[in-house]
Amino acid sequence: MPIFLITAILGAVLSGISLAIFAPFVTLRRISYMGEALSHIAFAGIALALISGLNLTFGAWIFVSCVALGISWLANKHKLQEANTITIFLSLSMAIGIILISLSQNYSFDLASYLFGNVLLITSTELWALAGLNVLNAFFIIFFYKELFYMSYNSEMAKVMHIRTEAVDKIFYLLLAANIVLNLKSAGIILVTAQLILPAVIAFNLSKRLHYAILIAVIAAIISALMGFGISFALNLPTGATIVVVQAVLYAISFVFRRA
Amino acid sequence: MIKITNLQYRIGDKSILEDINLEIPRGVFAAIIGPNGAGKSTLIKLLLGTIELKTGEIEIDGIPQKRWLKENSFGYLPQREEYDPLFPATALDIVLMGIAGKVPLGRHFSAAHKAEALEVMRMCGIQNKANELIGNLSGGEFQRLLLARAIITKSEYLILDEPEAGIDRPGVTSFFKLLKQLNEQGKTIITVSHDLNTLSEYCSLLICLNRRLHFHNKTELVNAEIIHKTFGESIRLIDKDY
Repeated sequence: MPIFLITAILGAVLSGISLAIFAPFVTLRRISYMGEALSHIAFAGIALALISGLNLTFGAWIFVSCVALGISWLANKHKLQEANTITIFLSLSMAIGIILISLSQNYSFDLASYLFGNVLLITSTELWALAGLNVLNAFFIIFFYKELFYMSYNSEMAKVMHIRTEAVDKIFYLLLAANIVLNLKSAGIILVTAQLILPAVIAFNLSKRLHYAILIAVIAAIISALMGFGISFALNLPTGATIVVVQAVLYAISFVFRRA
Repeated sequence: MIKITNLQYRIGDKSILEDINLEIPRGVFAAIIGPNGAGKSTLIKLLLGTIELKTGEIEIDGIPQKRWLKENSFGYLPQREEYDPLFPATALDIVLMGIAGKVPLGRHFSAAHKAEALEVMRMCGIQNKANELIGNLSGGEFQRLLLARAIITKSEYLILDEPEAGIDRPGVTSFFKLLKQLNEQGKTIITVSHDLNTLSEYCSLLICLNRRLHFHNKTELVNAEIIHKTFGESIRLIDKDY
């Protein structure tokens, strides 16, 4: 098997795992809209990095992290409706991104690959970065499991109970931003959102305990990455989109076997 | 003892609480009554420190509230706990929430923590629900669960915001009996309630609040005039003679 293909398969699997491990928390905290918004907001980050000559992934991560923390701060401290705040940042970021890209006149930049993703473009450096991020994700979730669990249940009550939510919440958003940005190349802005939700809804159909749900979400992501990759390669279809279709089929199957 | 001095609270131009001076000694069963919008829940949130105190002082056991809250916590049962009934938590998980802040970061609950939670659940009569998902509990069972979470904090002070909400009449009576037992074991109970009937039977201190503090003293001394001052014309007193 050619090395680029092995890199791509590993990339698809690691990308799926990194989003799936966060998916149950994104679903339980009802911030799937935030996940979608951040993947769009990354567009402005990429444009800014492009203009300033920064590494695209690093530039986008810094930008998305700042916006994510900003939204969380505005919503908490100023009691602004989170959905409204997110929408303002989302549309502003998309607008800034389009203006900056038109100003940069960098026609060699392949914007479409960031919009729709192409797992075949993953480099070995990005593969290592994804592997490292997966280790960091696993460590974060195991170490802060009880804080994440109770924050997801009711963050206000968690504060009353002296559960250390503020720092954990900030790390959560920084890591979520990193996961979204690093997956843009393989899954694309549009498909990252689906990968942040589908593994979780599959998992919660099959288990009513969070730790099992995380495990099931990761397994679903691995299965859909491998199957999606195989089908897309055999039928010459876009990989990211095929992976999401496989996940949707898994969701339909899990729905049949869902636990009351 | 909880001592509140010259407390005021405003939201914009609207005054929510004015000139609140109050002492709640340790070991009492205190009830805060008042009409809707009287500022009862605001007073509770100011006590808990979930909304910031801007004017006035609160001392707990002689220590300024902010400093006290760094080392201690109240056992708290909210008016309405916002939660998703499909959330994948068992009753035991929710009770353990009461001590989660004391368990160091990176550590999980030990067998001793779980045994302690089960003991508190037994005290509240819901030990057989430990492994039940919260979405499967009745309103009364869920209130007892929240009480168990408040008790496990081991706080000397239990603060309850309309604990009878969503419980049927027999449930309310057994719930207040349980509170009385806890009070007799030395806990200070502070409850917001609309249920004057039940309160008169169980509480030893009645605090009438309608933005201002109208009266606070032993329950027996509260008469019709004070009730009218607190609730305005919105309440009719019926003298039942059986």
